[in-house]
Amino acid sequence: MSKVNNKEKKLTNRRRAEFVWGWLFILPTLVGLIILNIIPIFQTVWQSFYKTGAFGRGYIFVGLDNYERLFSDGAVWQALINTLKYAIVEVPISIAIALIIAVMLNAKMQGRSAYRAIYFLPMVVAPAATSMVWKWLFNTEFGLFNHVFKSIGLKPVAWLSNPGIAIYSLAAVGIWSVIGYNMVLFLAGLQEIPKDYYEAAQIDGANVFQQFFKITVPLISPTMFFVLVTRVIGSMQIFDSIYMMIGTGSPALKKTQSLVYLFYRYAFVENNKGYGSAIVVLLLVVIMIITIFQMIAQKKWVHYN
Amino acid sequence: MTVAIWDSNQEPGLKEIMDDFTKETGIGVDIQVTPWGEYWTMLEAATQGGEMPDVFWMHSDQIATYAAYDDILLDLTDKIERSDKIDLANYPENLVNIYQNEKGAQLGIPKDIDTCAVWYNKKMFDEAGIPYPTADWTWEDFREIAKKLTNKEKGQYGVTIKPGSYQESWYSTIYAYGGEVISEDKKTSGFDNPKTIEAMQLIEGIIKDGSMPEYSVVAENGTDALMEAGTVAMSFQGSWMIPELVKNDFVKENCDIAPLPKGPNGTKSISNGLGWTASAKGAHTEEAWKLIEYLGSKEAQTKQAELGVTMAAYKGVSDNWKNAQPNFNMQAYLDMLEDAQAYPSSKNTQVWYQVLMERMVDGFSGAKPMDKVCKDFAVEMNQFLAEEQ
Repeated sequence: MSKVNNKEKKLTNRRRAEFVWGWLFILPTLVGLIILNIIPIFQTVWQSFYKTGAFGRGYIFVGLDNYERLFSDGAVWQALINTLKYAIVEVPISIAIALIIAVMLNAKMQGRSAYRAIYFLPMVVAPAATSMVWKWLFNTEFGLFNHVFKSIGLKPVAWLSNPGIAIYSLAAVGIWSVIGYNMVLFLAGLQEIPKDYYEAAQIDGANVFQQFFKITVPLISPTMFFVLVTRVIGSMQIFDSIYMMIGTGSPALKKTQSLVYLFYRYAFVENNKGYGSAIVVLLLVVIMIITIFQMIAQKKWVHYN
Repeated sequence: MTVAIWDSNQEPGLKEIMDDFTKETGIGVDIQVTPWGEYWTMLEAATQGGEMPDVFWMHSDQIATYAAYDDILLDLTDKIERSDKIDLANYPENLVNIYQNEKGAQLGIPKDIDTCAVWYNKKMFDEAGIPYPTADWTWEDFREIAKKLTNKEKGQYGVTIKPGSYQESWYSTIYAYGGEVISEDKKTSGFDNPKTIEAMQLIEGIIKDGSMPEYSVVAENGTDALMEAGTVAMSFQGSWMIPELVKNDFVKENCDIAPLPKGPNGTKSISNGLGWTASAKGAHTEEAWKLIEYLGSKEAQTKQAELGVTMAAYKGVSDNWKNAQPNFNMQAYLDMLEDAQAYPSSKNTQVWYQVLMERMVDGFSGAKPMDKVCKDFAVEMNQFLAEEQ
């Protein structure tokens, strides 16, 4: 009897130790998430019901006033359209290009790690710095692109000032800067695929494209799903390149400013944190809806072994 | 002790002055530069979090927000009374008044004063056979000259003015024509004033003449950059831009300074000045006051001018500032002080200013006629001002 008891006791001790250590290990992340993400989310929602004063003082409860203004504010809906437009261009193209590059860099070739590093580089450089360079490249009068255009006899294009074009110029910069990140994730996914599948396919006479669409794409779909969800969220939060490359005074601002840009303007420039909060709550809801749809849709196309 | 500023051009000169202060008092000073765009976000967050810098620059756009509370900015009234270095009579009155709260407490000491003037490319004037501008040129003259200096085949234009260069250029035009941006009691917009509209239509005329590059070029490039690239013959620049402009080789070789053109109501350069303010709750309020007292003293103000950092707020010591740049007609900026217009602001300037910039894009790009832009904006601005009360 006593032996059995001892054994049970040992087990519970071990379990307890595992329990304690487990929680201890996730504690830093947990604390970070709660302090930096979860509490601010609730604060933002709370703030959106208030007329706010500067420095977090003099708050007055105004109920749904901020939301009433939000729904009748054309600039907000235009910003939502701009944000969605940006995401629709950036996400699929950056994923497609990144996947192709990842497949190519997964093959045995010389200087493979150098190429991988080069593609990842834009992710490492501060967005503010890359925006400055792109701003110059896009400059209507002095930029490199228009210089090339003019020298081959084409008309210069107002990449950042033409309201119909600017959002796509921004998306191009977004694609460029995020390809490396997507590529690294895809590379990790590609290395999980057993080599035998390709060998078997080759014996059966499948060509490279058939191998890509019948083996690579289905087997990498979990990674693709992860990239898709995180990139949609990331691109919906676009701010820095608009702030750096478009800015006040640009004729394209109305057609490029995102919800986060509007949030920044109201919350930090005009000190109207209440209305700013209502704008990000709208963004939060939109992102949540899109993500839920993606979760449902994944059952149709993501293969988990 | 920490000191926050936003203009890196002024950092070297201020550092020198602060070093003198450290030598005299033994109090160490650490200058932190945050660019204008982020400065106010930083300061607002620092205020809320109780981590304000000990001493920092204040601007007329923002003072009302900070002065609305008693426990944010250090009240300097009694300290000034006891001081033998500071006498507020030595600074321009409108500048002193900016840094008072509604109860009349003095929260800041004027740091500097700025005015605006025209920089022009001498070579382009010579080529067009136009004499250099003098103090009695009018806005009508300016429009004609800008037209004559434009040579589209060469890619040369008369001038660049954009919504964002309001302080240097078109705000002055408005006041020179007898209009106003905001009424004196700060309760109503001046944009439906016929004289304001007349001034803005003159600007519109310059644009329609083709004397400015296409709006996309104007919007994407700084007025200084277009002048330095030889794209425009004239540009409006505030005196705070001087340290940067005089470093440029192209400017050194080709450019000089002229006073602003006159309107029926005079020159009316917009004139503004920063203030030195301190945190009321900082750990070093005594030291902070000592530093502000030093920075406002005749000695430090003279040195600030001498080093060419900015014009001094202290009356009568700016001649040294002029002499710091003997190759340029710096006197133009000093002359502008005589018929200056205080920088128009209200309690919550940013709220209407942001919208003004948006609306003016339509006026400057030619998307809408200027008088409609002005009249429509006046309605919006009046709503914002009513909410401020």
